[in-house]
Formats: sequence, C-alpha cells, structure tokens
Amino acid sequence: MSPKNIFVALILAIALATGIFVAARWQAPATLKAAFVLPAPTPLPEFELIDQAGDVVTADTFRDHWNLVFFGFTHCPDICPTTLQILAAANSELAASAQDPLPRIVLVSVDPERDTPTRLGEYLDYFGDGNLGVTGDLDEIRKLTSGLGIYFEKQAGDGDAYTVDHSAAVLLVNPDGDFHALFGGPHNIENYVHDVPLIMAAR
Amino acid sequence: MRIVLIVVTILIGACGGEPQPLLVATDVVVTRPMPGMGMSAAYLSLTNNTDQTISISRVTSVQYESVELHESTIENGVARMRAVPRLEIPGGETVTLQRGGKHLMLMRPTGPADIVSLKFHDDDGLILTVDATFEPKTNKNSSD
Repeated sequence: MSPKNIFVALILAIALATGIFVAARWQAPATLKAAFVLPAPTPLPEFELIDQAGDVVTADTFRDHWNLVFFGFTHCPDICPTTLQILAAANSELAASAQDPLPRIVLVSVDPERDTPTRLGEYLDYFGDGNLGVTGDLDEIRKLTSGLGIYFEKQAGDGDAYTVDHSAAVLLVNPDGDFHALFGGPHNIENYVHDVPLIMAAR
Repeated sequence: MRIVLIVVTILIGACGGEPQPLLVATDVVVTRPMPGMGMSAAYLSLTNNTDQTISISRVTSVQYESVELHESTIENGVARMRAVPRLEIPGGETVTLQRGGKHLMLMRPTGPADIVSLKFHDDDGLILTVDATFEPKTNKNSSD
C-alpha cells in the first residue's frame, strides 16, 4: 500500500471512528411537556417589596436561586393552594430523585391589602420550608407584574369578601434573576418534574 | 388526598318498599384550613338517583358561618372565581365538585372542629347531610 493510500485509509478510519463516537453520544433533545422557554431570558423589572419576614425584596433577591414564581393570594381557597401544593409536591419528587438544586417556590401576592407578611409566612409554611412570600405596596407589585405580563384585578365584593382575578401562570426565574421560562395553567406535578431539570441542565 | 367520609345521611323518598337514596355523596374532600386563614374548600361528587333534576339552592354547616358554591375557571391564562347561585344535578347524573372547578367555599369557622357537617338544601328544605373529616396534610417539602 502506497503512503498516499495509507494516509487516505487513516483519514477514513478517523472519520469512521468519529462518526461512531458522535452517533453513540448523540441524543435527540428532550421535548418539554409544558414549559415555554424564552428565546432570551429577560431581567426582572425594578421593584421594591417585602418578604414574609419584612425584609426588602428586589430583583436581586431572585439571584442565586432557581425560582418558581406564582402570583396569587391567601384568601383564594381553590386554585392558589392547589397550584402551591403541585409545586411543593413536584419539589418533593425532584428531591427524591436527587435533583440539585431545587427551585424555590415564590408566591407574589396580588392582594397586599389582606396579605400581610405575617399572614403570607403562616400560609407558605404549610407548603414546606424555604418558600418566599412577597407582598408590599400595590404600585410596586404592579411594577413587577406589568413588567412580566402578569395580569391581576380585584373584583367587587362586600367588605373583606372579595376575590382577585389573576394570571394562572408560573414563571421560572433563573439564578441570574432573569425570567427564563413559563408554565401556563392548569398545572400538574408531572410537567414540573419532567421540565424543570431539563431547563436547568440546558442553561 | 384520601378522604374519610364518616357519615352520609340521606333523606329518603316517601314511597313504599325499600328506601332509595335520592342523592348520594362520594369522594368527599374538605381541605385543611391554612394556618392563619379561616376558610377551607370542599370537593365531592353528587349522584342524583331520581329522574328529576335536583337543584341545590344552599349549603350550610354548623362549623362555618358561611358556605358558598363557587366556580374556579382558567380562561386565556387568567384564573377567576365566581359565586354560583344554584347547583343543578340532572336526574340520573353525577355532578362533581373538584379542584379548579366548582367547589364549596367554607368561610369563617365557628370554632375548632374535627368533623365538618355539610347540609345540602333545595327549595323545599334539607335533602342531604354529609359529615367528613379534613384531608390529611400532604405535599410538604420537609419531612414530617
């Protein structure tokens, strides 16, 4: 075999080995079940609110965590606790499968009139440890929600017996403090357990 | 989410022979009141064993000052909850009150209670009493 043929054979062998290696390693990208990932993560708008301990919450508070952010209120007896239970149950399943880090569950109140820090704290404790409650001045809440396309509107009611319409979405905010992905409602545990690790791993 | 249905008292028809339950409640869930909150939600299925529509006009409970029938919806990404004046159960059919849909809103407890007694009324009076315990606490992140 001439040196030229040896060289060609060597190139072909390398190409074949490379092809086999790539084929063995290549996997089709996993398809998300429910989440919509933003083409470009978006920084949170500027706002200043407080958490359940009365400490200041700004966009920077969301940094260094993955955050599942829901907008609701404690006097909501059905959709809000159901959604938070789903997020808590999903986190329990993710923890059981050794997912690390786990997303932090965040409830931003759309009813600051009734959702004091103390009430938010008591409410969120029911869903587990390490959850973040956010409340404060209504105008500051609107800075956050309007910047994220989140809708809410207080409805007429007798005295304290009113309800608040609100977006059902859960937003995933990444450790840079950027709005990264969105889960539209209705929600279920399986979608979070499937999608959240994939989104985290792909970042 | 397992429920514990303690007692279901059915008012029966006045016809002769074996008494037949007119309305049967199953899969009853009463959510635990959230800490600091004076409300719960109740979910259940109601089966109408008659050939006439049963129209629930009000629900009462001695454990709560107010019980209202509400319906949650999510439309165009927005969650809403509205009061529903009556609950119609067509003859021979089952209507389910469930999370994210129609449900009972139990407000302002009258005192501590282990059992919730729900009384369903039509325009003529009481037609069904359902006694249930609160659902067990679940889905907490921390081990407990």
